[in-house]
Amino acid sequence: MAKKKSNSSTSEPEERSTASSNDEAPTIPGYVEDELELLQVDLGDMVKMKQVLDEAVVLAVNQHVEEEHSWDNWKLLIMFAACVAACVAQFVPIPFPESRPILGICGALYFILSGILQFITTFIDKDAILLTKPLENAPKTNADMAKYGMRIRSQLPRFSEWYTVIVQFQLDDKNAVSPYVEQTWSVGQFFDKEGYFDEVGLAQRVDQLLERFKAGKFDEPKSKKD
Amino acid sequence: MDKQVYELKKLWSNKRQLTFQVLNLAMIVFSALMIWKGLMFVTKSESPVVVVLSGSMEPAFQRGDILFLNNAVHEVHVGDVVVFKIKDRDIPIVHRILKVHLDQETGKVELLTKGDNNRVDDRGLYAPGQLWLNRDDILGKAVGTLRYVGMVTIALNDYPVLKYVLVGLMGLFVLTSKEG
Repeated sequence: MAKKKSNSSTSEPEERSTASSNDEAPTIPGYVEDELELLQVDLGDMVKMKQVLDEAVVLAVNQHVEEEHSWDNWKLLIMFAACVAACVAQFVPIPFPESRPILGICGALYFILSGILQFITTFIDKDAILLTKPLENAPKTNADMAKYGMRIRSQLPRFSEWYTVIVQFQLDDKNAVSPYVEQTWSVGQFFDKEGYFDEVGLAQRVDQLLERFKAGKFDEPKSKKD
Repeated sequence: MDKQVYELKKLWSNKRQLTFQVLNLAMIVFSALMIWKGLMFVTKSESPVVVVLSGSMEPAFQRGDILFLNNAVHEVHVGDVVVFKIKDRDIPIVHRILKVHLDQETGKVELLTKGDNNRVDDRGLYAPGQLWLNRDDILGKAVGTLRYVGMVTIALNDYPVLKYVLVGLMGLFVLTSKEG
């Protein structure tokens, strides 16, 4: 159930400039206070919390730069091909003993495709939540942004309250290390006691992180503990 | 309930996300299916896992036991427990081989079966005029068993309403676990 909250946020009021922020709001006829519907999440459901945070980050980044869909399309294609193989194995009109070779081929195909998909998800995607296209008018402080798209990664370890977002380049050479900016927040900054989610607050923080990236103020790689 | 509707609406508006979720679900279902087909391929049997329905093989196998079959065996011998189907009948039968007649020249094999717990051999069960089974009638030789696990299948068969109860419970579980 969504809670209706007026635009004046309870966290850091000095950052916000809102239209109607006081209790003594003017009663101008026809004036409607801007109400925001907030998403509520069960604070014990860590998977859902990460999902909500990730979706908000993706939404915030998409305001600035377009999403890169090519990897996604490949994955969709692989999944679709695997489903086709499975359907063929199931619905081939040949009765059993004769259909054995087809079953063998389709089965092998299905498991190979499934394996490839698993490999991509585990070793290539890892913790990435968004891949973007290169930025057209890249700032002078970070000209590479016109050449490479960004890779947005996020981490929220199980049972931990610390949510980390990392912005780096999506480099062609997989072994190359990209400069990055990273920011960690407690989930308490975006969820209140009842689980209402401050999407606008997170969007603002993500914007600040992107500004830092654009300004070329990269973080120093931490000593091995990651 | 509105949370589910909200999630569904959000999913519907994002076609890419929707496609991903649908394909994901399909892959889960197909994985189970393909494992079954894989078993069929390896064991060369139409039905690699069967449930014992009657007590005709007691004390070796009870009603409700699961049997794993392998049909990739070249010959079946006296004493093997096999599952066979009589032509034009639906239900496979699991009994033991009593006699094997092998024609040395043609290689043709004739089999006679009997349930351990029955008084007579299976000639009475075969099709009218049929005295022997052929190798083709055999669905597979029993190579493994799980006691009592098949009782669920038998219960679902005998009391079809249980199927709806089971599916209803699973649906309820999925919905309520999403809330949490």
